[in-house]
Amino acid sequence: MDTPKDKDQPPAKPQVMLYICGECHHENEIKARDPIRCRECGYRIMYKKRTKRMVVFDGR
Amino acid sequence: MLREGLTKAVQEIIPVEFGLPNGQRVSLSVKDAVIYPPAVPPSSNCVNLKVYPAESRERGTTYRGKLNVQLLWTVDGVKFGPEERAIGVVPIMVKSAACNLAGLSPLELIKHGEEAEEMGGYFIVNGIERIIRMLVMPRRNYPLALARPSWKNRGALYTEFGVSLRSVNHDQTSSTIVLHYLNNGTCTLSFTYNKEQFFVPIILILKALLDTTDEFIYRELTRGRETHTYYKGCITNMLRQTHEEQLTRQSLILRYIGSRFRIKLGRPSWYSDTHVANFLLKHCVCVHLSEAVDKFNLLVHMTQKLFTFVAGECTTENPDNPMFQEALLSGHLYQMVLKEKVESWLFTLRTRIELNAKNKGPEFILDEAGISSACRHSMDVTKSMEYFLATGNLVSRTGLGLMQVAGLTVVADKLNFFRYVSHFRCIHRGAFFAQMRTTAVRKLLPEAWGFLCPVHTPDGAPCGLMNHLSASCQIVNVTYETSHMTRLLCVMGMVEYNAPPHHDPQGSYPVCLDGRLIGWLHSTIAKDVAERLRILKVKGLERVSMMLEICFVGRTQFGSQYPGLYLFLAPARLMRPVRNLATSSVEMIGTFEQCYLNICVTPSEAHQGETTHEELSEFSMLSTIASLTPFSDFNQSPRNMYQCQMGKQTMGTPLHALGHRSDNKLYKLQTPQSPLVRPAVYDFYHMDEYPLGTNAVVAVISYTGYDMEDAMILNKSSFERGFAYGTIYKSEFINLKDKSQEKYRISLKFGCPPDNKRTLGRLDPDGLPPVGTYLTTGDPYYSYVNIQTGEVRVENYKGAEPAYVEMVKILGADNGAEQLQKVCILLRIERNPVIGDKFSSRHGQKGICSQKWPVEDMPFTESGMQPDIIFNPHGFPSRMTIGMMIESMAGKSSAMHGLCHDATPFTFSEDQPAIDYFGNLLTAAGYNYYGTERMYSGVDGRELEADIFVGVVYYQRLRHMVSDKFQVRATGPIDSLTHQPVKGRKRAGGVRFGEMERDALIAHGTAFLLQDRLLNCSDKCLGHVCSNCGSILSPLMGKPVMSNAASSFEATRAWMCSVCQLENTVEAISIPYVFRYLVAELAAMNIKVTLDVK
Repeated sequence: MDTPKDKDQPPAKPQVMLYICGECHHENEIKARDPIRCRECGYRIMYKKRTKRMVVFDGR
Repeated sequence: MLREGLTKAVQEIIPVEFGLPNGQRVSLSVKDAVIYPPAVPPSSNCVNLKVYPAESRERGTTYRGKLNVQLLWTVDGVKFGPEERAIGVVPIMVKSAACNLAGLSPLELIKHGEEAEEMGGYFIVNGIERIIRMLVMPRRNYPLALARPSWKNRGALYTEFGVSLRSVNHDQTSSTIVLHYLNNGTCTLSFTYNKEQFFVPIILILKALLDTTDEFIYRELTRGRETHTYYKGCITNMLRQTHEEQLTRQSLILRYIGSRFRIKLGRPSWYSDTHVANFLLKHCVCVHLSEAVDKFNLLVHMTQKLFTFVAGECTTENPDNPMFQEALLSGHLYQMVLKEKVESWLFTLRTRIELNAKNKGPEFILDEAGISSACRHSMDVTKSMEYFLATGNLVSRTGLGLMQVAGLTVVADKLNFFRYVSHFRCIHRGAFFAQMRTTAVRKLLPEAWGFLCPVHTPDGAPCGLMNHLSASCQIVNVTYETSHMTRLLCVMGMVEYNAPPHHDPQGSYPVCLDGRLIGWLHSTIAKDVAERLRILKVKGLERVSMMLEICFVGRTQFGSQYPGLYLFLAPARLMRPVRNLATSSVEMIGTFEQCYLNICVTPSEAHQGETTHEELSEFSMLSTIASLTPFSDFNQSPRNMYQCQMGKQTMGTPLHALGHRSDNKLYKLQTPQSPLVRPAVYDFYHMDEYPLGTNAVVAVISYTGYDMEDAMILNKSSFERGFAYGTIYKSEFINLKDKSQEKYRISLKFGCPPDNKRTLGRLDPDGLPPVGTYLTTGDPYYSYVNIQTGEVRVENYKGAEPAYVEMVKILGADNGAEQLQKVCILLRIERNPVIGDKFSSRHGQKGICSQKWPVEDMPFTESGMQPDIIFNPHGFPSRMTIGMMIESMAGKSSAMHGLCHDATPFTFSEDQPAIDYFGNLLTAAGYNYYGTERMYSGVDGRELEADIFVGVVYYQRLRHMVSDKFQVRATGPIDSLTHQPVKGRKRAGGVRFGEMERDALIAHGTAFLLQDRLLNCSDKCLGHVCSNCGSILSPLMGKPVMSNAASSFEATRAWMCSVCQLENTVEAISIPYVFRYLVAELAAMNIKVTLDVK
């Protein structure tokens, strides 16, 4: 198993995800080891955004 | 209320007093306590520091606030403090005064992730809503005449007669005392202190309470009973006994009692005996009264009642009777528990100080710094309060006067509105009674009328023990002012209790207000005063509270209850509204009071000059749930009970704030409807907010052959159009801290490498599934990485059913500084009706869907209507649910006329039958008067000979579904000891093929099947037996030849009996593995088992 923390990898592909704050609905970019806190209001619960890609669609 | 109760409770805490090695005398006490609303620490950099219940639910934390106390301490009589000390965080009741939701409008509640009509009243512990369940308690501060055979075992001379008093202090802590009658005509008072029971002669207590003459005591005890020679003899005898012991004066007696109780009460050494005795009188005897003279009066009253009872002049009072019961409210229990936890905090403070003193030696001097350091090191109340609410187990020094220590809290299950609301209206008799053999406690007594619902109790084990309050019943939860009552009653003609006996006590009634004797009323005016007081109560004049319970027990020719005027204003009593006919306004009456009132149900029942009250409605004895059964007065009564149970298992609309919750499991009906036929209270309770069923066209016909034995047929096309579609929402918390091996360091993080083939396109880089993912068994669910080693672990979805990821919540910590360790994934599982799912109408008529019948084969009416549901006609004759038939007709007519029908029970009568009313409406709509229709076979189009009863019935879908229940296996896990298949659906186990099933196969003579089930498919194994000695234990495998030991196959090795030393006698047989085990176990007990093998 190779480590994802290799030196060249993180800058090449920043693993940033968007989350919506449960209180102010602000979109937060949270990296893997960031503290879970809304940048705007400091709230502690975030929701993952619904994916834009096709999830279940078999009738092509 | 919280403020008031908390202050009272902590002030009642007995100061912790102790001496230090240096001779200092320390006393610790608490002046006041405050619970602050839940908040996050200010260091967390939030705009809003307040924590709302929705956050606690979503994050799976406890909704709790800081508890601070004002500590007071004295050293050698010098007072210090008060100093505020934080002693922990305690769970807070939602919507209580300390809750952040208190006083918010529906709009604001929705904004904070709540229901618009959030009721509160529960606690949130680890994200789970729990309520402290109501328990039945003996009525406080009322001496109860009891005959308990078990009391005979308390000692020599003890009889079954006694007067028991549960006295409740104003901080709601209670202690029970019993006045026992002994065969030699004396009385002993029993009381408990720290779960230990003590017995003291009553005269001793009476003389210790007041510094008075024996003559006074004699006169008080014989007041009104001057003619009873035996009684007078008993009293003189008891007085004489104290004289024989040389206990003449109060001071002597106090010293006597004090010296004997010194050790048991655990008072500090510098307390004098008198001091100890006074402590005992204050904390053990009639704790609800503070004045000694009041205690004296009450004990005299109890003694008189006891002797009257023994003489048979008054009857025994039944503790199972709601008349003598009240409720234990959740706030009161919480307060008692919290008080005790603060008390034990003081104890740890004491141990800490003593420990410090011991370590430092005699030069240790307690000062402010010493207190502070002890406070820092003493245990806080957080854990123990949370434990109490999370488990319902009570860890207590005193036991709080409860009969049980477990099961005090339950989960407030939000399955649907019925179930949720009934948690709050449920009142339990106590776990102790569930084990009782007798059924007397379960009986529905006439005194419960209007307070406890006769319909809404489960059948089976908890029947009659778990009751529900009627819809209009309230429990007094406010402490009312009573100080003005004595004055008011004196103005009305009462003589003060200890006034010189110028009146005729034989013709007087004692007046007792909340267990305190306040005066005498002459019999000529007593009834009149009670009636006038009632008028004042109803009209709210003279500051007489509407929650006052006025119980006038008059003298009767033969002994009944002990006469007197008993007034109750204390909290925790059950009260309900009725109409007072004298003032024609609503009056609240209590359980005791009700027995002495004449209440009619309808005006036609009233007797002139006799009836004083009238019920507000005919169905006022029903609970919320029971009153929502339509036309319940037409049904056979057990069917209404079943409906109360099934209503609570229905899939419906559990809540609206789905996105802000993390309930383990929620059942939702996709397309709920408002019922066409409903009782008026349906709208009163706004049930349309949380509907739980669908209107269905039901044909009562035996048609398919699949609808026998309570099965029902669903129209396949109705199903395809979405009939009774349902969903299960499951939320799952994933906490990496639980998975990590390391306790104090974060070692895992969510995430998955982009090059992992298994998760590619299935999981996002954050290691969590994208919202909307369709998961089937074995799909990658989430993944996490070990920070140190970089090892990636992908967890699979383990559920048996496919699910959609509805929501992924990432959860932070209170301080907002921790990285992601905890997530909550909300899964949506489709549960559309399948064969084997359970449905029911609202009349206790449940059934299993046995077939989805194609619409083209369904019967159709002349207008072309086809039923959604086929109900088998055999369901009616034995169940006699006429209400369902009427609902069917009413539903049909309301669908035709476009209106909703009122289905309130007792609206129709013999003179105006429901059938006629709805029959006429059906005729007006062009239907048959009786709701029947001509039908044609869907299979061949022939007209059916019989007219078919077709109508519209509201159907509920119950949560019991085959998908949760089916169990099947061919092979699978086995038990390691017996090698038999394991049991349990969860473990992929088998269904037990038991003795009765075995008997059936034997009776059928199906030997092969029997062998297949019991041996081949179970624990068949190959064994060896020695035909010479018959043992299955002695044959051993022969040693391998040394030259090729490693390569020799087991099968090639010979078996030899180790007893007979013979090889050719060993035979291979197939035996059950358990048999082998049995033989081995028997051998261990020196029993030889021989098989007779030929």
